Amino acid sequence: MIFPTEINLLDISAVILLVATFGLIVSRGFSNWVNAYRYQTIVLAGIVALIASVSNIWELYIVSALTLGIKAVIIPKILFYVTKKLDSPIKLEIDPYVSMKLSVIISALLVAMSYFIFLYLDIKSNEIIQVFLPVSFALFFIGLFVIVSRRKALNQMVGLLTIENGLFLFAVSLTHGFSLIIEIGLMADILLGVIISSILLFRMSRTFDSIDIKNLESLRDD
Amino acid sequence: MSLELFSSLESILILALIITPIISGVLVTFLKKKKIIELVTVFSSFLILIEGLILVNSILKYKTISVFDGIFYVDSLSGIIIITISLVGFLSSIYSISYMGKQYEKLIIDEKKLVRYYQGFNMFLFTMLLVPISNNMGIMWIAIEATTLVSVLLIMLYVKQSSIEASWKYLLIATVGLSLALFGTIFFYYVNTADVPLEEDALGMDWTNLVENASGFDPNLVKLAFIFIIVGFGTKAGLAPMHTWLPDAHSEAPSPISALLSGVLLNCAFYGILRFHIITSNSIGSHFSNTLLMILGVVSIGIAAASIYFQKDLKRMLAFSSVEHMGIVSVAIGFGSVIGIFGALLHIINHAVVKSLLFFASGSISQKFETKLISDTSGIIRIMPITGFAFLIGGLAIVGMPPFNIFMSEFLVLSSGFESENFLPNMLVILFLVIIFAGFGKHLLKMIFGNPKQTIKKGDLGILSIIPMLILVSIIFVMGVYVPEPLQTLIEDTSQILLVGDLHN
Repeated sequence: MIFPTEINLLDISAVILLVATFGLIVSRGFSNWVNAYRYQTIVLAGIVALIASVSNIWELYIVSALTLGIKAVIIPKILFYVTKKLDSPIKLEIDPYVSMKLSVIISALLVAMSYFIFLYLDIKSNEIIQVFLPVSFALFFIGLFVIVSRRKALNQMVGLLTIENGLFLFAVSLTHGFSLIIEIGLMADILLGVIISSILLFRMSRTFDSIDIKNLESLRDD
Repeated sequence: MSLELFSSLESILILALIITPIISGVLVTFLKKKKIIELVTVFSSFLILIEGLILVNSILKYKTISVFDGIFYVDSLSGIIIITISLVGFLSSIYSISYMGKQYEKLIIDEKKLVRYYQGFNMFLFTMLLVPISNNMGIMWIAIEATTLVSVLLIMLYVKQSSIEASWKYLLIATVGLSLALFGTIFFYYVNTADVPLEEDALGMDWTNLVENASGFDPNLVKLAFIFIIVGFGTKAGLAPMHTWLPDAHSEAPSPISALLSGVLLNCAFYGILRFHIITSNSIGSHFSNTLLMILGVVSIGIAAASIYFQKDLKRMLAFSSVEHMGIVSVAIGFGSVIGIFGALLHIINHAVVKSLLFFASGSISQKFETKLISDTSGIIRIMPITGFAFLIGGLAIVGMPPFNIFMSEFLVLSSGFESENFLPNMLVILFLVIIFAGFGKHLLKMIFGNPKQTIKKGDLGILSIIPMLILVSIIFVMGVYVPEPLQTLIEDTSQILLVGDLHN
């Protein structure tokens, strides 16, 4: 049984998550991105706990704690370490492929599109699905947009992590999460992925003196 | 006999299959001496080959094996993948001694990198072996994503500008692609468990459970889910137009790893598509997924044809040839007839054999000639007679010349195209194959028989680079004229699974 106040809480948390995700789009500095990602993940962990309390599945509390521990503490720590260590002189995103203003507008359109897609999706829905499924699509699309519209490799990494957050929310709201063992496997994959891409970032900055992806355009067939 | 709880040999085998590379990886980490870590890796991958073959033998006997409360599940489809992984893995470990040894002597890599290479090699085998044995589609996804991560580490081993670029693109594109596949997997999980009470959905992501319940799934959601799956795993399997990372990654990796990437890893990803193809077919009939597979397959072969024709780089040409052959497998599955599916499965094995031969040979060639450019390489057979011979056989086999093995499977595929009355796609495939034949043949003949530069010293690279190639050459000859009976049974059983989705045979 879901009470009216809880529904409000669900709605409000969804809005907070979207706002936190927009923080990603409007920030320019390296550490701002990492912080934006961290806030986003903390809100996500809260939402998972909320879903756990609404649907009475104790496993989701563990998943929420794992999210908080791995994705909101450890991964940002790694990313901050990378940010500090990078030799790259400029730690700001200067002229991204799409300007900040336009980015915000496009992201807003992506959110609208997510709700639109959800309307056409033929899913037997409950309140949780109704509230969070479109938001999870939005996270996915915004992550994808960040990857293609920014020039710095670190930003692309954060975009990838945002996509992953969207997927995670999608899974939790649609199916009440996977079994615990799979969640742990997924977290391990993500952690490993972050570590490996951090190594790549170091190598990149040492080899090219920057982590601008414009350097990565030499392999092609012509 | 099927789906029983085996507590004895089979469970030990499956466990051994994944524990062997882990132990070997740990040993490599601690022993660190060049000779010893090479020996450890070759020994462990030989062990994996033996374990794999015994396991496949059990699969032939029992059809399906499910152990540890259904955590691990293997059937003949898994068997085919296990054979390719263990065979190419073993040969690649032998070839690694020669290839990486040369790199080490030339001071291109130091001892630390060598250790890292063998760690990565073992972990790569581990993650790939995890794919075909896991019953849970979520764990299968995790394993496939783990293969990406491990192979990224191997591709960036040299830390050149180009290898960093290739690994970053690979990591980004493959991960985004696979996240789509996870969307699809979650959708399947949802349609499977939407109507059951929460306590009982623990098995909802198991292949056995999914395929059993498939007929009751909501058709619209299944279609949507399969689109996600084919785009997602298709990215990793190198199907065009999602293949863009593949030529970079496969050409920048060390040659023994290229062999594993092209010959085996692509199959692992395609295995994911096949599993969900069966579920989809059981649910809404095979027409929908067949059409998608056919379209993507034809597009892949077409793009590969154009790229091969104008290619300047030897290893990139081989990488595009992998795109082509995954396309052929995809088209053949899409044709949906018995012969086509038999041909496709045979083609998976044949391609693994031939492509690893070609990558081994190209590794030796590029080390000898110190270039990957096709235009700078000529007269291979005069400078390195045995490698040149192996390269010639591999090259003729890969373009589908009789009497080699790929001719046999491609012939089956094309005749199934006519049999199933898919004339237009089949004609397109034939057209593209002719272009590839011309393009590949042109490059090949020039490289093998042209006039060599006088400055290059004659002679093949050591015996350890030649042995794996000769083993592969003999397999190509043998499989060109007949398919060994156990293998034939294995492929027939798999065709049954693919055609009727029959779980228990």
